[in-house]
Amino acid sequence: MRYLEFAVASNFSFLRGASHPEELMVQAAHIGLAGLGLCDRNSVAGVVRAHLAKREQNLSLHYHPGARLTFADGTPDILAYPRDRAGWGRLARLLTVGNLRAEKGDCILHLDDLLAHAFGLELIVMGGYVRLLARLRESAPHRVRLAASMLYRGRDRARLTHMKELARAAGVPLIAVNDVLYHHPNRRPLADVLACIREKTTIERAGRKLAANAERYLKPPQEMMRLFHDAPEAIEETSQLSDVLSFSLDELRYEYPDEQVDGFDNAQDALTYLTYENAAHRYPQGIPDKVRANLEHELKLIAQLQYAPYFLTVHDIVRFARSQGILCQGRGSAANSAVCYCLGVTEIDPDRADLLFERFISPERREPPDIDVDFEHERREEVIQYIYRKYGREHAGIAATVISYRGRSAIREVGKAFGLSEDTIGALSSSIWGGGGGAVSKDAVTRTGLDPQSRRMRQIIALTQEVTGFPRHLSQHVGGFVITRSRLDEVVPIGNAAMDDRTFVEWDKDDLDALGILKIDVLGLGMLSCLRKALDLVDKHYGERHTLATIPAEDPAVYRMLCRADSLGVFQVESRAQMTMLPRLKPEHFYDLVIEVAIVRPGPIQGDMVHPYLRRRRGQEPISYPSEALEAVLSKTLGVPLFQEQAMKIAIVAAGFTPSEADRLRRAMATFKRVGTIGTFQRKMIDGMLANNYAREFAERCFQQIEGFGEYGFPESHAASFALLVYASAWLKCRYPDAFAAALLNAQPMGFYAPAQIVRDAREHGVEVRPPDINHSLWGSTLEPGPRAAERLHELHREMLDDVWTTNAVRLGLREIKGLQEEDARLIVEKRGVAYDSMRDVWLRTGLSPRVLERLADADAFGSLSLSRREALWAAKALGRVGDHDDDLPLFAIDSDAAVAPVVSREPDVHLPPMLIGEEVINDYRFLHLSLRAHPAQFLRPDLYARDIKQNDALRRIRSGTRVRISGLVTCRQRPGSANGVVFMTIEDETAVANVIVWPQVFERLRPIVLSARYVAVTGCVQEESGVIHVVAEQLEDLTHFLARLAEHGAQIDGLARCDEVRRPIEDQREAHLAGGRHSRLVRLMSEIPELASDLDVPARGSAHAPTRRAIAAPLCRARH
Amino acid sequence: MLNLWLRRLSTDRIARSRKLSAPLVVTGKCGNAEVLTAVDDASERLGLAPGLALAQARAMHPGIDTVPEDAEADATLLESIADWCLRYTPLVACDAPDGLVLDISGCAHLYGGERELVVDLGGRLENAGFAYSLAIAGTIGAAWAAAHYGEPASYACGEELTMLAPLPLSALRLPPVTVVGLARVGLKRIGDIADQPRAPLTARFGAEVLRQLDRALGHEHEPLTPRLPVAPYVAEQRFAEPIAREEDVLTITARLARQLQFALERRGDGARRIELTLFRTDGVVRRIAAGTSRPLRDPDDIRALFVERLAVFADALDPGFGFDMARLSVIVAEPFPPEQIGIGGGENAAELCRLVDRLSARLGSRRVRRLVAQDSHIPELAETVLPAQVVNGDAGWNAFRQYRKEAKLPPRPLRLLARPEPIRAVAEVPDGPPLRFRWRRALHEVIAAEGPERIEGAWWSEHGGPARDYFRVEDKSGLRFWLFRAGLYRDLAQGAATPSWFLHGTFA
Repeated sequence: MRYLEFAVASNFSFLRGASHPEELMVQAAHIGLAGLGLCDRNSVAGVVRAHLAKREQNLSLHYHPGARLTFADGTPDILAYPRDRAGWGRLARLLTVGNLRAEKGDCILHLDDLLAHAFGLELIVMGGYVRLLARLRESAPHRVRLAASMLYRGRDRARLTHMKELARAAGVPLIAVNDVLYHHPNRRPLADVLACIREKTTIERAGRKLAANAERYLKPPQEMMRLFHDAPEAIEETSQLSDVLSFSLDELRYEYPDEQVDGFDNAQDALTYLTYENAAHRYPQGIPDKVRANLEHELKLIAQLQYAPYFLTVHDIVRFARSQGILCQGRGSAANSAVCYCLGVTEIDPDRADLLFERFISPERREPPDIDVDFEHERREEVIQYIYRKYGREHAGIAATVISYRGRSAIREVGKAFGLSEDTIGALSSSIWGGGGGAVSKDAVTRTGLDPQSRRMRQIIALTQEVTGFPRHLSQHVGGFVITRSRLDEVVPIGNAAMDDRTFVEWDKDDLDALGILKIDVLGLGMLSCLRKALDLVDKHYGERHTLATIPAEDPAVYRMLCRADSLGVFQVESRAQMTMLPRLKPEHFYDLVIEVAIVRPGPIQGDMVHPYLRRRRGQEPISYPSEALEAVLSKTLGVPLFQEQAMKIAIVAAGFTPSEADRLRRAMATFKRVGTIGTFQRKMIDGMLANNYAREFAERCFQQIEGFGEYGFPESHAASFALLVYASAWLKCRYPDAFAAALLNAQPMGFYAPAQIVRDAREHGVEVRPPDINHSLWGSTLEPGPRAAERLHELHREMLDDVWTTNAVRLGLREIKGLQEEDARLIVEKRGVAYDSMRDVWLRTGLSPRVLERLADADAFGSLSLSRREALWAAKALGRVGDHDDDLPLFAIDSDAAVAPVVSREPDVHLPPMLIGEEVINDYRFLHLSLRAHPAQFLRPDLYARDIKQNDALRRIRSGTRVRISGLVTCRQRPGSANGVVFMTIEDETAVANVIVWPQVFERLRPIVLSARYVAVTGCVQEESGVIHVVAEQLEDLTHFLARLAEHGAQIDGLARCDEVRRPIEDQREAHLAGGRHSRLVRLMSEIPELASDLDVPARGSAHAPTRRAIAAPLCRARH
Repeated sequence: MLNLWLRRLSTDRIARSRKLSAPLVVTGKCGNAEVLTAVDDASERLGLAPGLALAQARAMHPGIDTVPEDAEADATLLESIADWCLRYTPLVACDAPDGLVLDISGCAHLYGGERELVVDLGGRLENAGFAYSLAIAGTIGAAWAAAHYGEPASYACGEELTMLAPLPLSALRLPPVTVVGLARVGLKRIGDIADQPRAPLTARFGAEVLRQLDRALGHEHEPLTPRLPVAPYVAEQRFAEPIAREEDVLTITARLARQLQFALERRGDGARRIELTLFRTDGVVRRIAAGTSRPLRDPDDIRALFVERLAVFADALDPGFGFDMARLSVIVAEPFPPEQIGIGGGENAAELCRLVDRLSARLGSRRVRRLVAQDSHIPELAETVLPAQVVNGDAGWNAFRQYRKEAKLPPRPLRLLARPEPIRAVAEVPDGPPLRFRWRRALHEVIAAEGPERIEGAWWSEHGGPARDYFRVEDKSGLRFWLFRAGLYRDLAQGAATPSWFLHGTFA
């Protein structure tokens, strides 16, 4: 006898289900269930994952996606399963109705909603009464069943008898279910912890809020038959039901909306016409033959697959953005096609960069084309609203992102459930670095004063690991749009997002991908905002009008600058890892930038492809190919696979995978790690390559690389589009550092660095930077006529004498003032007229509260009124309190200042002690996060010298291998997951920025200092390689208290950059650049790309520390020596 | 004025009571975080300071000895020191949380002068193990500032300004926000504000700043508030003729209670703890306290309470030559729930409370107890026993009834054994009911059974125990039992012990 389980909740029934959909699917097959129906609470968010699990692993059981409807009106839960495609549409619409009625994340349903949408749905009522059953039967004749469960509640048999009678009385069949919450009884602790999180209580206090027993797991058919011995018909009914459910998610074949273009019969004709018309603009000298051939090939393929409307949509969106002056750029395999270049979707000239088009779209896979379009992040909303307007909310929606429990949130919630105190939880979670899958270490536990071996701690750690990766809630994706011809809400339920005017569908990008549903990524990219602002400034102040495409190409000055790792603020290559890579890779051409962007990524690093590539590039190793077949694949990258396309291609060419197998392999890496089928792919790939006579070692590395790509794929097509932005931003930084710095500041928050570092860099490039001022600043930073920057270059950048064209100074905007609201700043600018002449004047004209003016005073923004910080504050404090009446004065104020003046002068003079320069600097840091006066370290020098601490710029003159003591304000701390616990610190003093490396043993010893010191002294060995200098820390000393000597709050200032992982555990919109796949987990990897721990191995040779270092770096540098 | 600052009050208190082997810190909650609230000298030398998060302190120095704060104990200690200081002057005020102010004007000569007094006081404090800092000045404010921030010494009147000028503004006992605000405009020491024009300062920072300065300088008088009992409601009566008889005491009690009644009613309060203080003519003081299970204000109820209390004392009331004063204080008051009159039930509840109070007063509150429902699936943990006076209302039974109804829980036995008793049973594997079992040597043939009701152990506890399958069974003679199988057959594979049987309760 067969049994199918129909009442199964996965962990997409948030905080109820305690197993992943994949786990349920695999377990169901394992224990011999004939089938499984997945129904989460008012949601179908998990159904695609189970569907994929079945498909990827060729499981033979039946699978029925459905939903468990829970009602707001007291109706018992009802499981709804669609019979067919129409039924699915009803279910999706029903859930949409409930979703849109509620706030984000909730769904409010009434029985009437179900009755109105019941057509095509098979219903299972989870307990009920005759009247309800009768009513349902009326709206859904022969499609209602009554569920019975045997859950060891004490009176199961009596209850079963009762249910049988009830079913008979109502004339509906009885169906057996086990109301499953997890795939195995050993998930009970996790289910209990989830219940605690849900009920906001602790495991000790939860009492009867927890389940009494662990019976709600997937039970084998024999067991179910035994339990339902008295009602075998209920077991039989599961098969009956399965037989009438014919719907499969594969039926959701995507119907792309018609794009009507006036004057054309069909989309293909329109696309062909538009392409060739625009091609003529792109190539005024005539379309090159190669491009023409490409166009023909691509258009044919597009016609064959009927993707023309999709391309027209992208074109239309881009056209709209352009018409609004919004900077944008497409990327992705399909975006880097000749067609897209001609349509203006990308700026990558296919004639200029030779790109692989294999992944463009392949007819045999029917894989949807992949085009992401980046827009200025500040104006993306305009584009989104345009799409909603054009297609309507019934046809357009944003994809979901599944927000999951990660290291920190996991320990936080589990810790709370176990009743750990806030500070213990804080200590445990802060020991988890970054936002990724970090786990609580035993050491961290010991440090908080708990015993890691204790039973309780072991439980906490184990449960934390288990809950990690569990979905927590759905959120809208940063910009993946789904557009459909038929109603979108009949494909997938739509819900409200937290943001007004946003609705999103329940499936994430992977789910949509898996079902072959087309989507367009409308992403926000901070760098595009920055570039547009910079280009506008250059236009306004230098009279040069550029677009991304007209920025002079291949300017050697730009490459010279990048080769020196002078890349702060430059898109993508500003991270420390990239900065160490630049002097090694020495980019000279555009394609080098493409490689630069792609090489510092988990894939190449895990596959250990970085060093072979660098050696070959430097001519230290002959360029050879594992086989002739692979030469075609690898020739562009000197025989070393660096791009995702190449890794996939190797699986196909060398290991004999079919293209779809290769793709499944890549997806399997990302999605199915927890189910554990990677092994079979690994064997297949390595055996395949061995059979084709490749070296085992090479095969293994290729596999590791794919593993890395699976985590975060970085294809050449994306790298190429990014490289263009790298070049554009580098060109601006090189030629117009003033405009670039102002634009960067105005586009904050973005990138890796805080304003302090951006300003410092601009000043080192000779740009004069002026403080924010009540009379001179706008909200954002602006340019004012200033000195020629080329004459003021820091010696570091001497070589740029002829390259820098800047003749303006940067005036910092009011936005740099901590805590000042934008609307207040706008008011100040608006009411300024010619100028303000006193504090009272500002107050009376703007009507801002004295508190806001105190903010401005604290930030020292009254310089143009000759008011010092204290004087300004004193004046601000008096406002509205010296017997003034706010309501009667503005009259006088506007007409005659004389009438106001006496009020002020009546006050006797107060002598305020002047502020010492050191204190001024500290206050600059407190209220502006930066100081234009001096660096705090300057005032500590005598103390520092007394401790034999050198200035950081001395490092450049010290021989590699020498021991040295330096110090600085900590600006950044990173601990890349791939660097085995190595911590990279950046510190700065008044002379220079210094890079510090802290090896794990040292870190563990000095952890409190690394994590908390704001000013630190470092003793260690200098290492220099290709102009990149590090100090390898042996000893750290917390000198934060020195800052307190300058001013009371000195010890509280911080100079931390945005990339600091301790303070900002990864959020930010860098997520937006991520191509495909499971972002958030990987964002971490992006930001933290280590300076490839193995890099350090090279200069270390011959140094006394080499053995230790090599031992640690070993897992990362299995390079052939 | 003498200001005495016991700067290590908490840690000294702990150090007096036990031997210390490691640097000591006292911890308390600050919001959600556990922070240090006091440190001793040794931990201060390690760089620990109040305000630091405990986790961070532990991270820095895992070896420190931590003790949770006990503000009450500190306050009690401070008060006893204050009482003890009465030997120097009758005017002693507590300067919470860790200081005392003594008005020693006109008293110092009794000790041979200020210096001698200070030596005597200091010597005694040192012997008792207290770290202290003290200063004498013409004003409370100046003495405080000197003791906390300056040179602990004796300052003559008129010297205050010289002494205060270099001290930080916080020495003026100003709120921290004011101190911070003044610091932002550069005014950080008392000297910085002393000769500034007054109006601008007051306009910006309020009158408090200069008032505190004036008080410290003696330009404005600051009253000393000697320590007083803090009972919210007090009524007392002196007698021309001392009284001695118990009846008289009770009559007086009732009369005083009537006085209190008006005060209590006016503020909508009732008494939860009442103290009767009887002052004997020879100076001995008797205190008799009584607690109530609900807020009281009816004089008769209060009188009744003391009837029971005095009954316990019997003759030990020991009036000696009689009492010349009586005081009735409400030590703990609580809002008095407005009572609804006359609609069923209420009367009974009040009766029950009255009974509980009387019994508790007579027998001791720990001996009058009540069953309280607990939120747990595990039967023996589903109830507990607490002193009846502590328990309010239905003690959670309504919640349990509600749950039982919703979960359709099978009935629980009337009588639960103190602990489950092992039995030998024959039953169907894996989860069938017992067919027959032997309990206390008697064999019971099961003729009817219902179950199982499966209740898992508490996995998070060391003593969680295995899962239990509970059955209600009836034997041939009509006796009904509640018994369970401990352990599941499906867990055998994971190394669990073979299931065994227990009897846990009997039905009526």
